[in-house]
Amino acid sequence: MSDSIGIELPPIDDLLHEPARLRLLVLLSVVKRTDFTYLLKLSGMSKGNLSVQMNKLGDANMVKIDKSFQGNRPRTMYELTAQGRKALREYKKNMKAILAALPD
Amino acid sequence: MSEKMGAIESRVYRAYWNDGLLDVFAAVGVLAIGISWTFDVVVAGAVTPALLVPLWGPFRQRFIEPRLGTVEFSDARERTNRERLRLVILLGVGAFALGVSLYFLRDRLALDPDVSLIAGLPAFLLAVLAALTALLVSTGRFLAYAALLILAGAIGATSGWEPGLILVSAAFPMLLVAIAVLLRFFRNNPVTTEGPE
Repeated sequence: MSDSIGIELPPIDDLLHEPARLRLLVLLSVVKRTDFTYLLKLSGMSKGNLSVQMNKLGDANMVKIDKSFQGNRPRTMYELTAQGRKALREYKKNMKAILAALPD
Repeated sequence: MSEKMGAIESRVYRAYWNDGLLDVFAAVGVLAIGISWTFDVVVAGAVTPALLVPLWGPFRQRFIEPRLGTVEFSDARERTNRERLRLVILLGVGAFALGVSLYFLRDRLALDPDVSLIAGLPAFLLAVLAALTALLVSTGRFLAYAALLILAGAIGATSGWEPGLILVSAAFPMLLVAIAVLLRFFRNNPVTTEGPE
C-alpha cells in the first residue's frame, strides 16, 4: 500500500518535452510542410541530430515523413500530423497548468 | 494551434525572402525598363516583368533551394498573402492609372516641364510597387528601394533627366545591394545535401 498523498500534476509527454524535438514541432506547427534543409537552417541543429529527432517523431506518428528525389538530390519533406498537432496542444495546456501552479 | 500567425511564423516567412534573389529580379526589372526607355523601346520595358516571372521558379530551384531548402506556408499565411496581393494589384493599377492620367493631362494641368515631377513618374510608380512588395514579403529592404526610387525620381525630374535615365540611376544601387545580399546568402549558406555530415 502506498503512502502517496495523491496530488497529481497534468502528465507531460516525454517525447515532446525534449528541447530539440519541442523546437522542431513548434517550427513545423507554423508551416504546412518543409524539407530537411529548411528545417536544418531554421533549427540550427546538426544534420545527425535533426535526422535522429525527426525519425523519433516520425516513429511516434507525430510527423509525416515523405522521401522523394528532386532531380538527383534526395529530398525529405516533413509535415506535422493531426496526432502531432493534438499532442502539441495537449502539451501546451498541461505545461500552462503546471506553470500556473508555481508560486511567484 | 491558433490560426493567428505568431512571431515565429513571421520570422520563418521573412527568412524565406531574405536571400536576395527577389532583390536581383527587381533591380534587373527596373534596369531593363530604364534602358528600354532610354533607347525609346518602351514596349521592351513593359514586357520585362513578363519575361522575369517564368524565370523565378527555375532560378529559385537552381540557386536558392539547394542552400535554403523549401517550405510551404500555412493556409492562414496563404490567405493573408492573397489578400495582400489583391491590395498590391489594386494599388498598383490605381497608381499606374494615376500616373498615365497625369502624363496625358500634363498640358491641361499647365505643369511647367522645368519644375514638374512628370519625368519622375515611372520611378514613383515603381516606388509604389516596391513599397507594396515590402508589405507582401515582409522585407524592409524593399522600403529602402522605394525611397531610392522616389529620391531618384525627384532629383532626376528636377534636374531635367529623362525617365529612362532616372530609372537606370536608381537601378544601379539597387542591383549592387541585391548582389551583395545574394553573395552574403551564398557565403553563409553553402549547398546542403541530406544525409550524414
